[in-house]
Amino acid sequence: MQDAAEVENKVFWALADPSRRAIFESLTRGEAAVKDLTERFDISQPAVSQHLATLRDAGLVDNRKEGRCVYYRINPKGLAPLVDWMSHYRAFWADRIDRLERLLENMDQ
Amino acid sequence: MKPIDTTPAGQNEFLSFDFELQHPPEKVWRALTNPVLLAEWLLPVIDYELVKGKTFTLKAPPMPGWDGLVHAKFLEIEKQSKLAYSWQVGELETVVTFELAATPVGTKVKLVQTGFKEHQKQNWGGARYGWRMMGEKLFTVLSTMREES
Repeated sequence: MQDAAEVENKVFWALADPSRRAIFESLTRGEAAVKDLTERFDISQPAVSQHLATLRDAGLVDNRKEGRCVYYRINPKGLAPLVDWMSHYRAFWADRIDRLERLLENMDQ
Repeated sequence: MKPIDTTPAGQNEFLSFDFELQHPPEKVWRALTNPVLLAEWLLPVIDYELVKGKTFTLKAPPMPGWDGLVHAKFLEIEKQSKLAYSWQVGELETVVTFELAATPVGTKVKLVQTGFKEHQKQNWGGARYGWRMMGEKLFTVLSTMREES
């Protein structure tokens, strides 16, 4: 079982990429096979598959196999961290602490 | 050093992070309280005057459903050791506290944000506020999905 912070990080990270976000948004129109998604976007099939694997690892999409095709669909529960205040701020502060450290490196004593 | 998320599992009232910085407390304090430096790492601040009881505003990029403003008020100021202010966005009213302790190599910082509990149920607001990488489109997606589920 992954802890909450780890799951949240995966969700935010997965959706931080514009291509993955586009694929994810595209799936909200309904279930789609990898080849459908490849046609919709100007990305190679291996790249689409890689993006889908990342989204799946973050719990944002589910898949099912039918014959030689793999179909992907949205997992609405995977969006929970996005509508949760604490996970929002957990990600916010992690990012800001990182920025604070970089700023301190560049500051005069 | 990576911040350690010290939020106890299972509770839903506060977030807590511990981290160590290789810089002395006076320098860290400056980064935490100087308006120009705050804009560099946290958010730009307006009417920022380091006086207990004074209010100020943090300004995030506006986005659909949010003007981008965080309303804050200084609650505790102990030079180079403790800084606390309220942090209010919409109906969410939290308190952010930084505690600094000198170490042989720099400063140990504890960052705590309290006051989530009552607002966790209104969690839809969380999606609207402040997550800068999310575009308008995703919010539309989220609102559609919420109606379906």
